[in-house]
Amino acid sequence: MISKKLALVVTLVLLVSFFVCGSAAAADKFRIAYVARAQADSFAAWLANAVKAEAAKYPDVTLDVFDGEANDEKENAMIENAITNKYDCIIVQPNNGEAQRPYVEKVVEAGIIAITTNARISGIAGSSTVDADPYMQAKVNCGLAVSQVPQNAKVVVLNGPPGNFHADERRRAWGREFFEKRPDVTIVGEQIANWNKDEAMKFMEDWVQSNSVIDAVVSMNDNMCAGALEVVKGNPKFDKLLAYGVDGTAEAVLLIQEGRMTATCMQSAYDLAELLMSTANKLLTKQEKQIDTDIGNPLITKDNVEKFVEILKAAGAL
Amino acid sequence: MTQLKMGEMWAVVKEKYSIFLVLLTLFFVCSLTNPNFLSINNLSNISRQLSVTTILAFGETILIISGMIDLSAGSVLALSGVLAVSAFKATGSLTLAFTVGVVTGVVCSLINALMITDLRVPPFIATLAMQTMARGAALLYTKGQNILQLGRFVIFGQGSIQGLPIPIVFLAVIFAVTWYVLRHTRFGRSLYAIGGNEEAAVASGINVRLVKYKAFLFNGVLVGIAGVLFMSRVNAGLPNGAINFEFQALTAAIIGGTSFSGGIGTAAGTLAGAFIVGFLDNIMNLTGVDSYVQQIVRGAIIALAVIYDIWAKVRRRTRRTLGASKGQAP
Repeated sequence: MISKKLALVVTLVLLVSFFVCGSAAAADKFRIAYVARAQADSFAAWLANAVKAEAAKYPDVTLDVFDGEANDEKENAMIENAITNKYDCIIVQPNNGEAQRPYVEKVVEAGIIAITTNARISGIAGSSTVDADPYMQAKVNCGLAVSQVPQNAKVVVLNGPPGNFHADERRRAWGREFFEKRPDVTIVGEQIANWNKDEAMKFMEDWVQSNSVIDAVVSMNDNMCAGALEVVKGNPKFDKLLAYGVDGTAEAVLLIQEGRMTATCMQSAYDLAELLMSTANKLLTKQEKQIDTDIGNPLITKDNVEKFVEILKAAGAL
Repeated sequence: MTQLKMGEMWAVVKEKYSIFLVLLTLFFVCSLTNPNFLSINNLSNISRQLSVTTILAFGETILIISGMIDLSAGSVLALSGVLAVSAFKATGSLTLAFTVGVVTGVVCSLINALMITDLRVPPFIATLAMQTMARGAALLYTKGQNILQLGRFVIFGQGSIQGLPIPIVFLAVIFAVTWYVLRHTRFGRSLYAIGGNEEAAVASGINVRLVKYKAFLFNGVLVGIAGVLFMSRVNAGLPNGAINFEFQALTAAIIGGTSFSGGIGTAAGTLAGAFIVGFLDNIMNLTGVDSYVQQIVRGAIIALAVIYDIWAKVRRRTRRTLGASKGQAP
């Protein structure tokens, strides 16, 4: 009996505190909901942290971060909850663009500002987009690889999850901008490593056994590229191995500095966060009605890596 | 008469050792399919690749035999691993880092035991809750970012003793310990008794609560060790690493003949189950089989293993019933 009363009191206290906190936070500030794809995804977590830090620079804004846990159902429910909670702006980093499209359309229908990012959901009237172009991110690498990869080279390819916009677009760019231009190159292994370092390691360990020569690693992100390089670390047979990635993670930048990785394209979470918050601010203060914009695609190689090391150090990522 | 004895012997061999026959056949087929398969480097690679999930699989085997399960193993592994990595980065001590990893695994596993034995939460739900909590804790602690530049810490996953990779040494020792515990200790026999019929185990005087706590303690130690080995192997503290590893571990245990209904399973069977999956994955990669096809093959093997398990159980029951009715005949 006592425990039942105690449970009732605790429940009431929790409910009251939720309402009090919610209403207090709302006073005189724009409320932004940031629905992340999955905090377990290291780039998504980096971006969420960067958005939080950037939002702190805007005194008239409060930002709440929600985790979609790489689950379409969960992410969609979170978008619906944000609509119910009457946020002024909802930023969605989709897990699967087409699965979240109807829910972003609901945001627009509810008269709430909608922004989609990393990757954008295009073609929703009234919804803004801030993104990096995954095709271009791979293309800048391809430009370098076309001239660097030796004649009749044997390469291995590490792909991201199928159906993921960034994974598919980056692979499409490699097909068009590199493999079509270099028909002499042979793909001796191609697998899906789901952006993961450990999965990429396993594939590379097997490829090293079945191929006496591997000239280059073409990876759709840096994590997988780092995994492949971990396998051949210290093996003189692979001293001249070329390795290309995307993201510009701290690990990739260090590998380029050490001379073990060839190049990556920086998909800067800081740049994305800065552009996201300035876009949200312009839309919330009614300076503009719809914005579609991209960050740049800087290529990092041994020639300019020191600059990026300094940027990451300043941001506390190194 | 001799023919009958031979038939009986073959039936015993089939029932007890069929998984090893499958493993041997697969080994033979793989070595014919690709010449690189039999190289020492490749076999060493397979063992290293399997070491982490097989260590988890031994923990799952112990739990499943006693009628429980651990769905939190992958997440607890990630938490143990990142905490071990952090301890090393802070102190430079390999011993402390290893201890932190193991203690984290044990603490999480004992919380599972507490929920299951004392608070009566079903193992599936309790460990599912721990899966979410441990993953959340790992992400919160690292803010979702990988921990880099591990230095000497990589020795656990990448080093070797007398040319033998350290993860394989861990795997061999843990296999031997699990085998001994299951075959030659009172605790091992109690696990089978509880999994076979918990009420009968209570009636026969087994302290079920204590045995379940010990089973989770054993599992926790293995998960902690696996966490240290995994992070060391990938040379990074990955809070999002080892997702779904518990299912890979369960796959090895089930293929190896551990019965989901409890009371049946062996360490050697689990090891064989892990190697069956490992050989298949390896040969499919060596021969360039498409990713999607690989997933279908893996799924089909799990389905076949479970179908075989059910079929074998029905056969055993039928044989027992027939035997009993023969014994009762005048």
